[in-house]
Amino acid sequence: MNAPLAPNALVAEMSPVSTSEQIATMKTALLKNIQRSAYVYRVDCGGCNGCEIEIFSSITPVFDAERFGIKVVASPRHADILLFTGAVTRSMRMPALRAYEAAPDPKIVVSYGACGCTGGIFHDLYCVWGGTDNIVPVDVYIPGCPPTPAATIHGFAVALGLLEQKLKAETHVEAAGEAAALAHPDIPYALRVRLEREARRMAGYRQGRTIVEEFMALLEGHARAPGALTLPDRMTAAIAAERDPRRAEIIGRLAEVVQRTIRGEAS
Amino acid sequence: MLKLLKEILRTGEATVKYPFAPMEVCKDFRGKPEHRAADCIACAACTVACPANAIQMETDTAAGSRTWSINYGRCVFCGRCEESCPTGAIRLSADFELAVGSKADLTRKAVFTLAGCACCGKPFAPAKEVDYVARLLGQSARSAEEAERLRLTAATCPACKRAQDVHQIAGMGIARQMDAGQMDAGHSETEHAVKERETTP
Repeated sequence: MNAPLAPNALVAEMSPVSTSEQIATMKTALLKNIQRSAYVYRVDCGGCNGCEIEIFSSITPVFDAERFGIKVVASPRHADILLFTGAVTRSMRMPALRAYEAAPDPKIVVSYGACGCTGGIFHDLYCVWGGTDNIVPVDVYIPGCPPTPAATIHGFAVALGLLEQKLKAETHVEAAGEAAALAHPDIPYALRVRLEREARRMAGYRQGRTIVEEFMALLEGHARAPGALTLPDRMTAAIAAERDPRRAEIIGRLAEVVQRTIRGEAS
Repeated sequence: MLKLLKEILRTGEATVKYPFAPMEVCKDFRGKPEHRAADCIACAACTVACPANAIQMETDTAAGSRTWSINYGRCVFCGRCEESCPTGAIRLSADFELAVGSKADLTRKAVFTLAGCACCGKPFAPAKEVDYVARLLGQSARSAEEAERLRLTAATCPACKRAQDVHQIAGMGIARQMDAGQMDAGHSETEHAVKERETTP
């Protein structure tokens, strides 16, 4: 009853989808030089529908993929391009394979979105196959979560051989004596930490960092070239020059932090 | 008819010129994360922050290297890596043209060397990270000796640090430890008395 089970018995064996040589040559010809409209059939393999929304926004008048002859069709039997979205859930594997089989050869398979490319954020979930390339051979990957309509158009252009891909695999190897530069060496470390913390507290990580970088450039400028203006005057001028009241308030707070640190108070 | 033509002229063309002209993206657009390996200290903060495990790090102590890698196919463009980066080495750019024909082109790697512990010599952290921390600590040091001591602390592995602490405590001697304990106890008693005096009217 409790006989040990071989782990292999629990894993489903998938027969790889094979393509004949003749189809492969036809496909390269299609990829290189299509010379007609390309009909796209969209296969949803368990995505969140974010990708679908972006696909439909790329066929709206603003992005208008139909000016390149790219048309979304309702049946895989009309399709030249199959667009797989989603991380391929267990239950969507068979429907996806049926759609793949139903499309006439030669067909181009495009893996759409982060989930389609590699499984995305669901890559290690028990219930997904983790990417379109695990069930069917993929020709073009369009990453993004979701890809913007412009990225979609670029992806189709790559698929149809109109544009070259921009991304290339690269490996950087650390050079001898390579060192990361210290940011703002003129500003005391404790003050820098206080300023960054305050800016992040008030404006969040991204905006906070931008604001505090600008502010510290201002401080350093004063330290390097002390002009006629004193430090408080310089701060007041910077606050007055700021047109956004929220940013002006944050710069005011940062100036206060500097003043307090100079006086030796804990902020 | 004329009215319709007028309307068409007034509306103009809504379609973007994109593949024929560069696409303008908005100011805080989150595109492809651009990694400047020269500024990276391989501290693995981004690896921990990445919700999709697109950024990964592998440490090979035998070869003395740590490999940082990003898979753009798995990235969800959330910007957590940018938030967590202490040196600003990774930044989300405005580049969105990421479509590729082969999956291998979606990954980018950077190899960093590991530094040996100043005490036991075993590799424990990236050389760039140790160097960066030593310089950062040296910046706030009061004297050259203190800076040197801090540099040595930064270049020592956690196991050696623990062993040194044990030696230090053992070296203090039992009598001194007991003295310290008694002093602490006496101190708290007087404090307690002061507090009582303050609270009682």
